Amino acid sequence: MKRLKIALCFIFFFTLAMGSAYGGPSEIRILYVNDFQGFAEPYQPLGSNERLGGIAYLAGRANELRKEKPSLLLSAGDMIQGNNWANLSQGESVIELMNGMEFDAMVLGNHEFDFGKEVLRKRISEARFPVLGANVEGMRGLKPYVIKERKGVRVALLGVVTEDVPISTHPKNVTDLKFLPPIDTVEKCIPELKKDADLIIVLSHIGHPIDRILAERVKGIDVIVGGHSHTKLERPVQAGNTIIVQAREHAKALGVLDLTIENGRVIGFEGHLEEIKPRIGGEDKAALAIVEKYKQKMDAVLNVRVGEAEVDLDGENVRKRETNLGNLIADILRHASGADVTIVNGGGIRTSIKRGEIRVKDIYAVSPFDNYIVAIRLTGKQIREALEHGVSAVEEGGGRFPQVSGLSLKYSPSDQKGSRIKEVLIAGQPIDPDREYIVATNDFLAAGGDGYRAFGEAIKESRDFSIIGGMMKGGKVAYSESGRWLRDVVVEYLKEVKKVSPRVEGRIIEVY
Amino acid sequence: MKVYVNRIAVDVLPGMTVKHALIHAGLLKEIEASKKVYDEWGNEVGLDGALSEGMKIYIITMNDEQ
Repeated sequence: MKRLKIALCFIFFFTLAMGSAYGGPSEIRILYVNDFQGFAEPYQPLGSNERLGGIAYLAGRANELRKEKPSLLLSAGDMIQGNNWANLSQGESVIELMNGMEFDAMVLGNHEFDFGKEVLRKRISEARFPVLGANVEGMRGLKPYVIKERKGVRVALLGVVTEDVPISTHPKNVTDLKFLPPIDTVEKCIPELKKDADLIIVLSHIGHPIDRILAERVKGIDVIVGGHSHTKLERPVQAGNTIIVQAREHAKALGVLDLTIENGRVIGFEGHLEEIKPRIGGEDKAALAIVEKYKQKMDAVLNVRVGEAEVDLDGENVRKRETNLGNLIADILRHASGADVTIVNGGGIRTSIKRGEIRVKDIYAVSPFDNYIVAIRLTGKQIREALEHGVSAVEEGGGRFPQVSGLSLKYSPSDQKGSRIKEVLIAGQPIDPDREYIVATNDFLAAGGDGYRAFGEAIKESRDFSIIGGMMKGGKVAYSESGRWLRDVVVEYLKEVKKVSPRVEGRIIEVY
Repeated sequence: MKVYVNRIAVDVLPGMTVKHALIHAGLLKEIEASKKVYDEWGNEVGLDGALSEGMKIYIITMNDEQ
């Protein structure tokens, strides 16, 4: 009886293993994530009343699902940059986690470049899975595609990233790299892949709207596992013969796509998103250990001393007057971007720092928002308008109150809103209403936050962007580094200068 | 780059996200009030989601119509 059972088991598994070779249908499960961005722990998203995500829970669920069918675990990019848990180790934590979870492949996202080429090369070398980027030229360690076999089915995994990388990260991060049009690249690769693979999966970090165009234009793609637009595709979308999927963001969902394949063709599919949230006993212990390990390291980094304040740094009065901390932050923005002047909202500075040692966590408390530096060319007239807006709610303690660098202004708080500015000097000279100046600010104000319109008007006039001499050129944009938070720029500055003693020096003067 | 928030055109810089488009449109507070952002095919998109030229997004509650 025992021998009979063993023989039956052998026949069963042999049949399963050989199914594909003999033309019978095979089932393969694709598990996928995108835009994790280092959100290792569960968190409560804006507008939500519950905590979602948690990579250890996602890993636990992936383990359960992998046991059921031959599977591939894939990432559609933007994994290593974003949350402090990733940023403070420059993405090392994420790669260790992905190695532990036994990812089968990932494509680079635009944010993978945010720590620079050398760091990215190191991360790629640490990865025990292939890192893909078929449309990236000049990056050592990248592969255009790989072929994996599951249950006799040869699966080609081809990766492409948005060609907008050079204008969404700092130009220095992509020096000597070339980003080819992703759709053309996929089209070119398909005939070659057809020779060696039964199934073609594109890992795409180009956003869902472009994934749809890709599926329409290029024939022969079986599945597009997408990222970049953070789209919650609850069910797979079919465009022609191509299946498109994407799994939200920040480990809040694990994508599951079950494919039935016969004679190298997908003859059936079913897919859904598994919502990820904390559940008792649902975590993968090894993944949790990695999360905890880097949390401890993160705490250590946050306690690192980066400089010394020789005076108290005033973050309390930033909504009503010039303060020395406001001056320091505004100066750092100007220094980092090479701008002529800075206008930044006082409301973005959240607390003070006492005289003495400055630690990383002090800067993170002062600047807790995920803001980055942008510099835009504004006319003198637009600068004046921006400043008028900035002082228009001073009596209410509005967060729009400006902290400035490279300019000084006199204003009358008792005058009518819109006509309070009495004098603006730039580099000691009266502002020229017709001349263009480069103005540093943060992305929040550049997008029109706190009601600032001047930056948005300038952006509206900017149509074409290109990188010339390491700077973003085109229209009105002089600088934009979306992959580096302002707080980290401040930390780096303090490490460099070591001691600071900013003063209130008459940049903003009330007159009556 | 031009995108549309509830059919209103908004200009944003490359690298800016859904969040920036909502700030520009003065609608970020709607998200705090439990509304969500959807693309033109009715899929929810995250605030950190990348934008592409001409993309259309809508802020609605579950019961609103696009």
